Amino acid sequence: MNRHRILGLSALVVIAIGLYFGSQAPLDQLQGEYTRIMYVHVPSAWLAYLSFLVTLVASILWLTKRRLVFDRVAESSVSIGVFFTALALMTGMIWGYPVWGTFWDWGDARMMTTALMFFVYVGYLALRRSIPDPAMRATRSAVLGIVAFFLVPLSYLSVLIVRTLHQGITVARPDSPIDGEILLALLSNVGAFTVVYLTFMSLKTAIARGEEELEEQSAAVDATPAGAAITAPNLEKVRDV
Amino acid sequence: MTRYRWFVLPAIGAIVVIIGWMVFLSLGENLVYYLTPNEAVEQRADFPDGERFRLGGQVEEGSLMETDNGVEFTVSDGAHEIHIVHVGAPPELFREGVGAIVEGAWDGDVFRSDELVVKHDEQYQAPEDEGHPYEVPTDA
Repeated sequence: MNRHRILGLSALVVIAIGLYFGSQAPLDQLQGEYTRIMYVHVPSAWLAYLSFLVTLVASILWLTKRRLVFDRVAESSVSIGVFFTALALMTGMIWGYPVWGTFWDWGDARMMTTALMFFVYVGYLALRRSIPDPAMRATRSAVLGIVAFFLVPLSYLSVLIVRTLHQGITVARPDSPIDGEILLALLSNVGAFTVVYLTFMSLKTAIARGEEELEEQSAAVDATPAGAAITAPNLEKVRDV
Repeated sequence: MTRYRWFVLPAIGAIVVIIGWMVFLSLGENLVYYLTPNEAVEQRADFPDGERFRLGGQVEEGSLMETDNGVEFTVSDGAHEIHIVHVGAPPELFREGVGAIVEGAWDGDVFRSDELVVKHDEQYQAPEDEGHPYEVPTDA
């Protein structure tokens, strides 16, 4: 069995465990069935933050070590993070409509900073598509991958910094005002989503590697007849290609 | 230019978010999302009748009444209580004891609102007794 398959099967197992705890946990006394949306919403938001943290670290490593594997990790993690940011925003709206009475609020700092984070990281993916040279692309996107990270603590801490409609921090505080079984269901889904993240990363970095090889081949082919008009990607600076 | 066409979506999105947020903040005068009853009473002079702002507090037990076109209730922050006359259907989970944020203006001693959201707190607790205490009341 290869790495992707082992991770994929483990993800299925932990998702099943998360679903079990999520369906067994009691419902919040006010929210009723809407409580369960949290088991997708919170793990999605966690993965969004985790993804962008991985991108931050990988971007720093690219700039210092100049190995393309770090660029592949940075890019793959943003793709996955953008997906889970969108999922967190959407599940938040689905929960907010019945519980708050509104699905969106232009004054809520958590919603605004998270939406901003979403668009900035979509911008990261757009930046990558606009630069043909791999080394230059890796360097410029690494700079954005580092700078954009300030939005992660801003989004997470927004509920502590200013008044919001969004509730404050529940789990990461000493007196977590949360029912034990609800917490268990929440944490098991956070764990399950993390394994899903590792699976997606394994697949996405493999795809990025394949894309890189294709790029090199087509660049080699193009370089021959076009002569000086086209130059091959500047890969000398890169050690592991 | 086709290299840059992918920037269109994130650029428009980010601009919409920033403008939407700034418009909201500039309408509120204060750079806060809502005032507490205590602050609203202290700053009463800054908000003459008809001047809109947001007000947030706990819905007092025993204060909720249905009216022909909405609900009346009292919000409190422990220090002050303000009577709210709300026009419109309240959200599904609105009830006594929850946090509520209303938008509207002073009218003498009462606050007339036409927007109402429930602010759920960070507590997640199972109902203490059996039965269905989390069932949504149909009359409120």
